[in-house]
Amino acid sequence: MTGFQIPRNSLAWMLLAQSAVIAPHLTRLPYWTIALCVVCVLWRVMVYQGRWSYPGRWIKVLLVFFGIVGLALGYGTFLGLDPWVGLLIMMFVLKLLEMHHKRDGYVVILLGYFVALTQFLYDQGIPSTLYMFLCVTMITAALIGLNQTRSHTRPAQTFKKAFVLLMQSVPLMVVLFVLFPRISPLWTVPLQTEMAITGVTDTMTPGNIALLVQSDKLAFRATFADEVLPLSRLYWRGLVLSRFDGTSWTQELQALYGRLYRPGQRTTSWQDNMELLGEKVTYSIILEPTGQNWLFSLTMPEGSLKEGIGLVRDFRFYSLREIRSKLHYELTSHLNYRIDRDLSDFWRYRYTLLPKDSNPRSKRLANTIRENSLNQADYIRNILRRYNLDEFVYTLKPTVLGDDSVDEFLLDSKRGFCEHYAGSFVFLMRAVGIPARVVVGYQGGEYNRIGNYVEVRQYDAHAWAEIWQQGQGWIRVDPTSAVAPSRIESGLESAVEDENTFLANLPLSWMKYRQILWLTEIRLQISAISYYWDSWVVGYTPSVQMSLLTRYFGDLDRKRLGMLMLTTFFGLLGIVAMFILGKRSHKLLQPIDREYLRFCQLLAKQGLPRSVGEGPIHYAQRIGQQRPDLASAMQVVTDAYVRMNYAEDQPEKTDSLRSAIRAFRFRTLSISS
Amino acid sequence: MNSSANTPDSTVWRSTRFRQWLDRRMPPSNAITLDQKKIFILPTREGVFFSLLIVFMVLAGINYQNSLIFALAFLLASLLMVSILHTYRNLSGLTILAGGTLPAFAGEDAEFTVMLSRLGARTYEALLLGWNRDLLQGADLLEDEEVKIKLFVETRVRGPMNPGRLLIQTNYPVGLFRSWTWVDLDMSTIVYPSPVPAGDIPVVSASSDEGKLLAREGVEDFYGLREYQQGDPLKQVAWKSYARTGELLTKQFSAFADRRIWLDWESYPGMDREARLSRLCYWVLKLDATNNEYGLRLPGVEITPHRGVEHREEILKALAIFEVEEFELEQVS
Repeated sequence: MTGFQIPRNSLAWMLLAQSAVIAPHLTRLPYWTIALCVVCVLWRVMVYQGRWSYPGRWIKVLLVFFGIVGLALGYGTFLGLDPWVGLLIMMFVLKLLEMHHKRDGYVVILLGYFVALTQFLYDQGIPSTLYMFLCVTMITAALIGLNQTRSHTRPAQTFKKAFVLLMQSVPLMVVLFVLFPRISPLWTVPLQTEMAITGVTDTMTPGNIALLVQSDKLAFRATFADEVLPLSRLYWRGLVLSRFDGTSWTQELQALYGRLYRPGQRTTSWQDNMELLGEKVTYSIILEPTGQNWLFSLTMPEGSLKEGIGLVRDFRFYSLREIRSKLHYELTSHLNYRIDRDLSDFWRYRYTLLPKDSNPRSKRLANTIRENSLNQADYIRNILRRYNLDEFVYTLKPTVLGDDSVDEFLLDSKRGFCEHYAGSFVFLMRAVGIPARVVVGYQGGEYNRIGNYVEVRQYDAHAWAEIWQQGQGWIRVDPTSAVAPSRIESGLESAVEDENTFLANLPLSWMKYRQILWLTEIRLQISAISYYWDSWVVGYTPSVQMSLLTRYFGDLDRKRLGMLMLTTFFGLLGIVAMFILGKRSHKLLQPIDREYLRFCQLLAKQGLPRSVGEGPIHYAQRIGQQRPDLASAMQVVTDAYVRMNYAEDQPEKTDSLRSAIRAFRFRTLSISS
Repeated sequence: MNSSANTPDSTVWRSTRFRQWLDRRMPPSNAITLDQKKIFILPTREGVFFSLLIVFMVLAGINYQNSLIFALAFLLASLLMVSILHTYRNLSGLTILAGGTLPAFAGEDAEFTVMLSRLGARTYEALLLGWNRDLLQGADLLEDEEVKIKLFVETRVRGPMNPGRLLIQTNYPVGLFRSWTWVDLDMSTIVYPSPVPAGDIPVVSASSDEGKLLAREGVEDFYGLREYQQGDPLKQVAWKSYARTGELLTKQFSAFADRRIWLDWESYPGMDREARLSRLCYWVLKLDATNNEYGLRLPGVEITPHRGVEHREEILKALAIFEVEEFELEQVS
C-alpha cells in the first residue's frame, strides 16, 4: 500500500519477540491459533521481502471474524481470562499484517508488552520471570529499531542497547516495587477459566491418595516463627470427611453452612466449643495454587485470615474463592486444645452414621472386638493392635477394592495405604457408636535448613482419623502409625523402602536422590531461593509491604509512603542520570601527548609555563630565547614530539620522546645543583 | 538580514515573544554546542500512549494482586524515565557548525551545509534536522567524529535569505520522548530572481559611447545565421545554404561579442520591477552560458561588462538585492 517499511532491524526483533512472548501460551491456546501465528509471521516476512503484498481488506475482516468465532467456539465462553488472552494474542499477531505506518509498529510493540504481562497471570516463578525479561528486552529492541535510522542494521547492537536501557531501569523499578503503595483490588477481574486441581480433594476413595503421592509437586512451604516442630508432629489438617457411602468419604456439607468464623467476631455459638490451651506455635504458609477451597493448618488454629477465608464448623480454614494463585497466610496454632467437649445429638448421630447394608462383615467384626474389650479405650487399643500385629501391609500398591471396600480391605486383602487405614478405622469406630471422622491433609514434610522452612510435597499427603470422646472432645488417632510407624517418623520414602515404590513413575525426580548429598544441597538451595522469591517478591502483598516498611520507617500512612517513594525514586534517578550523562569522556590522550604535557608541567615548575594556545615549536623558541642554557635540550624534546606526532605513523611509541625528556631533566637538574 | 517572507515553518515563529526569548537564550552563532539551556524535551504521542499502558498495567497488578505485573509496569515506567535521560543525552554535547551555502533562484531549493561534530566517546544516533518540520533529514554520529549534512530549503522570493532557526530533534532511543532545539547558525544565502525567458536579447549597443570594439574571432559555437555583410570572412559564409537557396548568409558563432552587451533595466519598458528583474536574470544566465561579456544597468546600479563566474554572481546578486526593502514591504502587505 504505502511506502512505509518497518526498518529491518525493528521487524526482525518484532517477529522474534512476538514468537517468544506467545510461546508460553501455546499450551493454553486452541491449536489453530498456532497456525494463524505462523501464517501471519510468514506473510509479514514475505511482505518485507517484497514477494507478497499486504492482505486485502476483506481477507483481514474475514481473519478477524473467524478468529473471534474460533475463540468463542474453542473456549465456549468469553467470561474467563483465557479467551481474552487468546483474543489479545490474536490481535497482536493479526496487527502484523497491517503495518502501514510507523504508529502501527508502536501498536504491535505496546500489545507485545501487554501479552508479556498476561504470562504472569499463569506463572510467577523465577524461570518464567527471567524468560519474560528476555522477551521484554526483545520488544524494547524492536522499539529502538523503530527509531533508528535506516542505515543502522546491526540487530545485536540494538538488542544490547535495549538491555542497557532496561538494566538502568531495574534499580528504579525496585524502588517502585518496594515503595509503591499497594492497595486491595478495585474491582473483580476475570480469572483463569480452567484450573488444574491439585492436592488432596474432598473425596477419599481407597486408592486416590496412593495415586496423589506419586507426585513430587510442591504443596506448600511453612516457616515457623520459632523452633520447627518435629516432623512427626506436623499434621497439616485440610479437610474433614465424615459422610460415608460404603466406598468413598466426602465432606459433611452442613459443616460448611455455618458462617465463617473470623477473630473478634462473636456471632457463632460453636466457636465457644474451642478451648485453646497453652503451647502455641506461630507459622506462615505459602500455599501453591490448588484450584480448591481449603487451606492447611496445624491443630488447632486461632482464626486470623483475610477477607473471604475463615474457620468452618469442623475447625479448619475454608476460602470462599478457589485458590488460583499462591496464597500467603500466617497462623497461630495451639497444640493443646479441646474442641467440642459436648457434642449435640444431631452431630453425634451424623458422626456415627454408616450406610445400612454396606460392609456387614466389618460391622460384625467390630461388634465382636467390642464385646471382647473392657471399654471404649480398650476397644480402640485393640483395633490399633490388630493393624499392627495382623498381617496388614502398608503399601503404595493396594489391591483394587470393590463395593464393600472396608470388608475387602480388613478381612481379605489387608494391603492398603493411609486412606484404607483411616477409612476402615473410622468405620470400625462408628460401627460401635464412637463418633469418628476422617481427616485429610499432609503429614510431615522436609525441613530446609538453608531457608529455615518446612517444605510439604504431594507425596506427604496423608489421611488420619479423629474420634470424639466424652469430656475430651475430638482426638487425633493415626492408624497408619500402628501399621507403619516409619511413615510418621521419617516420611513416605522410608515407609515404602522395601517395595521400592517411592515416586516409581518419576525416575528423574530430585526427591529420589536424597541420599546423594551434594545433589540434595543444590536442591535445597534452589528450593530456598524460590521460597524467598515466593515470600518477598510474589508474596509482596499490601500487608507484607506495611509490615516491612513500618519496621524500617516507623508508622507510615499512604501519603507519607507516596512521598517516600517519590523522593527515593527521583534521588535514584539523579544518580542514574549522573551515570548516563556524566560519561562525557573526553578523548583519551595519546601516550606521547601525555608525556609532552608532563614535560610542560616540569617546565612550569621551573617558572617557564607554556601559555595558552602556544604551539610546541613557538614554545621552544621562546624558551630558547629566555633560557639559552636550555635551548638545545628543549629543541631535542620538541623535535622528538613534533616528529612523532606529525610525521611518524606510530605515535604510541614514546621511547625517543622519553629519552629526550630524561636528558632534559638531567640537564636542568645539573644546572640547578 | 532576516527575511521573514523566506522563513519556512513560520507557524512556529508566529509568536515574536517566543522568538525574542529564544534569541536571548540562544543567540545566533556559527558554532553551537548543545547543553541543557538549549535542549527542550517533551513526551511524544507514543510516550503518552505508553504511559497509559503503564497505568493499565498497574490497574491489572492491583486487581490481580500480582506482584510481577507490578514489577513489569514499574520496569516500563522506569524505562520511560530513563529514556528521558537517553533522549536528552542524544543531543547534549553535540556541536553544530555552520558550513557553506549555495544560492538559489527563487522557487528552487537553496543548499545549506551544516556540520555535526562530537567530542569524546559519546555517540549520537538518529538525529533529524531541517528547517522544515515535515522535511527532516536523518544523521548518525557513530564511528565518524564529524558529519556534513546538506540541507535544502525551499525559497519563494528573491533577496537575501536567512533560513531562520534550524530544528534539530531526536526521538532516539525509544521514541517515547522527543528532544529538540532550534539553533540559529547565523547562516544566510542569497536568492536570485527566478529567470523568466524573455524574447529578444535586450541589446543596448555598447559601440555608441565608451570602449573599443573587441573584434573577436568567435568560432567555437555555432549560434545562427545572418545576412552577409561586407567584410565577413569568407570562411564563415554558409555555402551549403547558398547552394540551396541562393541567399548569401554568414554563419554566426556564439562569441558574437564583437560587442559588449549591456543588460538594461530600460529594455523592458512598461513591465513592473520583478518582471524586469526576472527577464534580466534569464539573460544573465543565457549570456554567461555563451561566454559573453555583459554588464548591468539598473537605476542607481551599474556593473561594467565582464565575464566569468564571479562576475555572474556579482550581477545576480545585484539583481537579487535591487530595491529589496521595498520589495519586502510589498510582500508583507
